[in-house]
Amino acid sequence: MSTLGHRGSPRRRLLAGLAFLLPNILGFAAFTLVPLVMSFGIAFTDWDTLRHNIFRHESLRFVGFENFSWLFHHPDFLHYLGNTFFMMLGLPFAIAGSLGAALLLTRVSHRPVARRGAFIVATLLLTGSGLLLRMGGMGQAGVWCIFGVLAAGSLVAGVLTGGAVYRTLFYLPNFTAGVATFVLWKKLYNPQTGPINAGLAPVLDGFAAVVRSAPAVFSWGLPLACAVLATAVSLWQLWRLRQHWDDASAGAVAVITGLAMLALPQVFQLRWLGLSTGWALGLAAAGVTVAAVVILRRPRRWGPVCALDTGLSAEIALALGLVPLLLLFAVGVAWGSELPAAAAAGLTPPNWLGDYDWAKPAIMGMGLWAAIGSNNMILYLAGLSNIPPELYEAADMDGASSLQRFWHITWPQLAPVTFFIGVMGIIYGLQGGFEMARVMTMGGPAGSTTTLSYFIYIEGFETGRLGYASAAAWVLFALVFILSLLNFRFGNRSAND
Amino acid sequence: MTEPARNSPHQAQRSGPGLSLLLAVLSLLMIAPFVWMMLTSFKSLSESSDPEWLPGAVRWSNYPDVFKVIPFLRFAANSLVIAGWVTILQVFTSALAAFSFSRLEWPGRDRVFFLYLGTMMLPGLVTLIPTFQLMVRMDLVDTYSGLVLPAAFGAFGTFLLRQFMMGIPRALDEAAEIDGASKWQIFWDVILPLSRPGLVTLAIFTYMGNFQSFFWPLVMMKSVDKFPLPVGLMFFDTEHGQATHLLMAAVTMSVVPLIIIFVLLQKQLIRGIQLGGVKG
Repeated sequence: MSTLGHRGSPRRRLLAGLAFLLPNILGFAAFTLVPLVMSFGIAFTDWDTLRHNIFRHESLRFVGFENFSWLFHHPDFLHYLGNTFFMMLGLPFAIAGSLGAALLLTRVSHRPVARRGAFIVATLLLTGSGLLLRMGGMGQAGVWCIFGVLAAGSLVAGVLTGGAVYRTLFYLPNFTAGVATFVLWKKLYNPQTGPINAGLAPVLDGFAAVVRSAPAVFSWGLPLACAVLATAVSLWQLWRLRQHWDDASAGAVAVITGLAMLALPQVFQLRWLGLSTGWALGLAAAGVTVAAVVILRRPRRWGPVCALDTGLSAEIALALGLVPLLLLFAVGVAWGSELPAAAAAGLTPPNWLGDYDWAKPAIMGMGLWAAIGSNNMILYLAGLSNIPPELYEAADMDGASSLQRFWHITWPQLAPVTFFIGVMGIIYGLQGGFEMARVMTMGGPAGSTTTLSYFIYIEGFETGRLGYASAAAWVLFALVFILSLLNFRFGNRSAND
Repeated sequence: MTEPARNSPHQAQRSGPGLSLLLAVLSLLMIAPFVWMMLTSFKSLSESSDPEWLPGAVRWSNYPDVFKVIPFLRFAANSLVIAGWVTILQVFTSALAAFSFSRLEWPGRDRVFFLYLGTMMLPGLVTLIPTFQLMVRMDLVDTYSGLVLPAAFGAFGTFLLRQFMMGIPRALDEAAEIDGASKWQIFWDVILPLSRPGLVTLAIFTYMGNFQSFFWPLVMMKSVDKFPLPVGLMFFDTEHGQATHLLMAAVTMSVVPLIIIFVLLQKQLIRGIQLGGVKG
């Protein structure tokens, strides 16, 4: 095939190619490459705007790795690093949410049956809200009325547009993500005046009444039941991992990942039961090691030797379901016995952004809301529409259940998209958190929402210690690089399973 | 419309009123915060710290009041201009580079492209501080150029448009070349018009991203009359006082145009992404 530009000498072709590249590369060099090199240099100097500014010209000193060693001896830096990783725990859920939304949106049909049903439901909702409004007047009922009308409206619009309107509505949060939404959520989370706690308070009151009526059930029964259930689920998962190792559907990396994710809720559990973080992590690591050794040392009964990362994505997907469940049980074990006493005093909703323990989950909740309908969902939608329908037809002829169809067709076919989303999510996730911290919490309370990026901002622009800030930025870069490399090494291969 | 449904007939089969209802409820969850925002924007100051969703009486005057408290139009115009310039520069230089990477054969092309891709992994934070120092040296602090230039060149746009241009049949530009068209003519008259969905997608992404940008303007801008909207909004939410009702009115006014743009352009946007395709 004769390709464009194949004519002419290589020199001429190179010149033509570069000529088109020039504007972009020049800008890129000036505003990315040069700063990059400078940044690397600054990380090894003691540049501090208090001592090196237009009024004082102390010469910059080369300090070797001093900035880096300062960082790692700085107790708060490790805390902030931990915060950054903690926030990253939301990423798998965000990805799962986007995939779920895309799957739901793909299933909307415009068949007449659905159309008639939607119209009936919409009419019912409209009449219902109208009645509510008439009986209750404005006030609480008015809100329900607004929601009824909105729901009915979106249903009707959904039917008329064949689902396109849901896509728009889902995409809305992502679209306006930015300072405007952060400000909005700060108000939503406000413990005194925000609607979230206003909605939670009656629910908690009702729950407290139930607890008061049967305190014994909660002080003994709940922790016990939770402990039993947690143990059962964990044992089942261990048994499953061993099974998968045996029949070569999970490689060593997959098994260890599965074990690590299983151990994650236990870390929190131990922390809540009063152990220090170090001990909790140590115990969990020991548990993972023992279990890994026990499982991995077993000779395989059958099956060929599989790659290290076989079944990695399946393990992660399952663990995503188990981790929240186990966390819930852990909460039950840790606080079930205290519940009656707390209920007697009355349960109050959390202080969200003002509470050391709740601030991070609050920000992650907002992140999830914004992430479900994000560009990731659009990428998944595009990916889903690229799956050849013949694959599903063949599966139907074999009588595959819908779970099997998802697991054996949809998920592997979407693997490249998931891979792309995962890599980008890690890259942006690790450097994220600045805007939320700046707008919503100023990094507090007590530094619990200070991520690496906010720390770099503080050091670089408020305290003016540019050397430290640059060193921290390079630590971040190293993290991004290592995680991306791991993702390419394992993620890409399982994407091609 | 929903092309995906057509592609997998069996998936559509089991959908019914239940699914529609589920989607409608989920949509409500997604827009509930916006509903709250709009309702709050009609409240009075004393009501705005009320857990009640509905305002006692609709206060339209909050909207004109926003303009009295902050130079809203000025901030919005700043945002429009800054994001507009970034978008123009980004789309134009990315299209040129993408043409070079997808249509011209030159030695070392693919190696350079992978280098380009690699830079997408660079956390922007690493270059933040030196870029600021660079801006200080170039005397660009507190200028529009200081906001536009660092944001205007990136590998993402090049990557997106290259993927898109790869999907345009070669036969078209070969025919043009046989007719004696120069490289520039092929780029300008053949490839660029055919890449429209891709260009629109990139333009929307870039525009939205920069319309909302907060970090860099916060660092760079000193004079209030040059603040873009997101930084300007912070005047309503300070330690000295909060005017939630006005803030929500201002946020509503800043968000609604974006939503309208998206609704108008979403078909092009999704087509651009689908054709551009992420394939491993």
